[in-house]
Amino acid sequence: MSGALAEARGASRRFGSFTAVRAVDLTVGKGEVVGLLGANGAGKTTLIRMLLGLLTPSDGAVRLLGAVPSRASRRRVGYVPQTLGLYAGLTVAENWRFSAGAFGDRGAPVPGGIAGWRNELAGRLPLGTQRQVAFALALSHRPDLLVLDEPTSGVGPLGRARLWDEIRRAAERGAGVLVTTHNMEEAEQCDRLVVMAAGAVMARGTVAQIIGGRTVARVRCPDWNRAFTILDASGVPVAVHGRDLRAAAPADEVSALLAREGIAAAVEVVPAGLEEAFVAMVAGPQGA
Amino acid sequence: MWAVVAKEFRELRRDRRTVAMMILLPVVLLIVFGYAASFNVKDIPTVVVGPGARQAAALLRAPFQVNEVDPGAGEPVARDRLRDGRAVVAVVTGRARPLVLMDGTQLFSVQTAEGALGRMARQAGAAAPPVSLRILYNPGLTTSWVMVPGLAGLILVFVGTLITSLGVVRERQAGTLEQLAVMPFRAWDVIAGKIAPYLIVAALDLALVVVVGMGLFGVPFTGNPAVFIVGAALFLLVTLGMGVLVSTVSQNQGQAIQLAFMILLPQVLLSGLIFPVSSMAAGVRWISYILPLTYFIEISRGVMLKATPISALWEPIGLLALLAVVVLALAIARFRRDLAPGAGRAKARAAAREVTPA
Repeated sequence: MSGALAEARGASRRFGSFTAVRAVDLTVGKGEVVGLLGANGAGKTTLIRMLLGLLTPSDGAVRLLGAVPSRASRRRVGYVPQTLGLYAGLTVAENWRFSAGAFGDRGAPVPGGIAGWRNELAGRLPLGTQRQVAFALALSHRPDLLVLDEPTSGVGPLGRARLWDEIRRAAERGAGVLVTTHNMEEAEQCDRLVVMAAGAVMARGTVAQIIGGRTVARVRCPDWNRAFTILDASGVPVAVHGRDLRAAAPADEVSALLAREGIAAAVEVVPAGLEEAFVAMVAGPQGA
Repeated sequence: MWAVVAKEFRELRRDRRTVAMMILLPVVLLIVFGYAASFNVKDIPTVVVGPGARQAAALLRAPFQVNEVDPGAGEPVARDRLRDGRAVVAVVTGRARPLVLMDGTQLFSVQTAEGALGRMARQAGAAAPPVSLRILYNPGLTTSWVMVPGLAGLILVFVGTLITSLGVVRERQAGTLEQLAVMPFRAWDVIAGKIAPYLIVAALDLALVVVVGMGLFGVPFTGNPAVFIVGAALFLLVTLGMGVLVSTVSQNQGQAIQLAFMILLPQVLLSGLIFPVSSMAAGVRWISYILPLTYFIEISRGVMLKATPISALWEPIGLLALLAVVVLALAIARFRRDLAPGAGRAKARAAAREVTPA
């Protein structure tokens, strides 16, 4: 065995005629933060539900902490689902006591990070705070593997930074972390990424490896608004960055399109960002 | 407005359970309850004892259904038969005026029996039956005495089935069920943990209903409380198990309420709480025999009003135990599927072995 904390080999999951996950290979090792990057419906949640043993694979296999997902292996896992799994009608302290008790540590004190809300009903807290509480609960038993489904969805920048600080600290302690996200900034904080689209893995590796040699055309011109309209109307994937445009198309093609409309612009080739690489990858067969 | 009407129809079309509730259920209820809802008692189980038992039994006509004729037995045996629920009417011969004992917990049967005795007397040209009539256990034929032990059971069905099912479905809707599934619990841990508080609340409810029933309506509690507790505990396990079962097949609280009512309604009408089971048409009577409330009513009325000993209640207690095992086993199996998918587990294990590199 590879010593992976979570592992999927050719794992597929079908719901009737619909294939949510197809032949996915994935490993999460100790001390590493692996990001599952994909749009909604890419199959990320289904994959982690399989890894946790909440769904059985239709094909292929999964292992959790070196064994078939079971009660024993889940004891060493901290999980924050998209829905957070907090009891809205219980206070933060009561949620904590339940979670700690479930993992056999009844007397554990509420950690300092969430102690300020200890007497608040979880359901009445802002979403960002709820996520913080859910995260603290998932860490209550010092798990070997943390599985976080969209952990910072709906969280402000400060809260997100705090959560990532915690994630990093958990990884430094040796825990493996599997994070699903569709947020590029968040994805860039992962050690490794697995990019999924339509249930399949499109790419894997570090951010640099995912981007590879991809480039985009950066467009600088005074009339950027009109330039955007022209490129967009021509079917070129284009985005606004400040007052620059970034187009996922060859620079000479972009220059030609703009010149034809009489727009003077400085077009240069620059390395693509993760989001641009992701869009190109996901839209690849149909779009770009 | 038409847009709303069209939208409602579209939603309804996809909600098959509600459509079934709205269209099929009334028809089914009409047929079932039409045959079940009858106060007319056709058969009254009767025992005749004493030296003139054979002659007296020969005189009895419908609705008296003579099940036992024992010339060697006396009044104590007759009372035992009534207490144990083996007869509703007992005729004790061998005295100047035969003694007719009736089980006052069977209101409609007693009323029918009194009417039948009156008719027999009139046919014989007498103003009144030439018998001494004594109604046992509920001499005043007080309705509340009969209803309170049954209502206690009905309240438990309500708390057990409806409230429990909502409690579990709420977890599903809030997404906390998934969190429970990932925690190191067995399905049984979760079920036991979920139903224990309801069990305690329902037990308190039961005690409250019985005490209030005794205080307000003067309902006696003549039997052994331990027998009552055993019966109530088994009955509660069945109803709570039904609640969990309902929750495992319901995706939201609306569905759970619909299903719980589909379980509650037959218990109200077919368990013997209102209509005597014996007067139901044979085609629907079998439903009564699979309803836990039918057996609890037998136990609670028996213990509270008649001091029926456990030796005479082994049948309803045994059947409740059987129902508890079946319902809880089904609930656990379904719940386990929710918490950790059992189907394909063996396949997953086999497949997992293949993951291990050579």
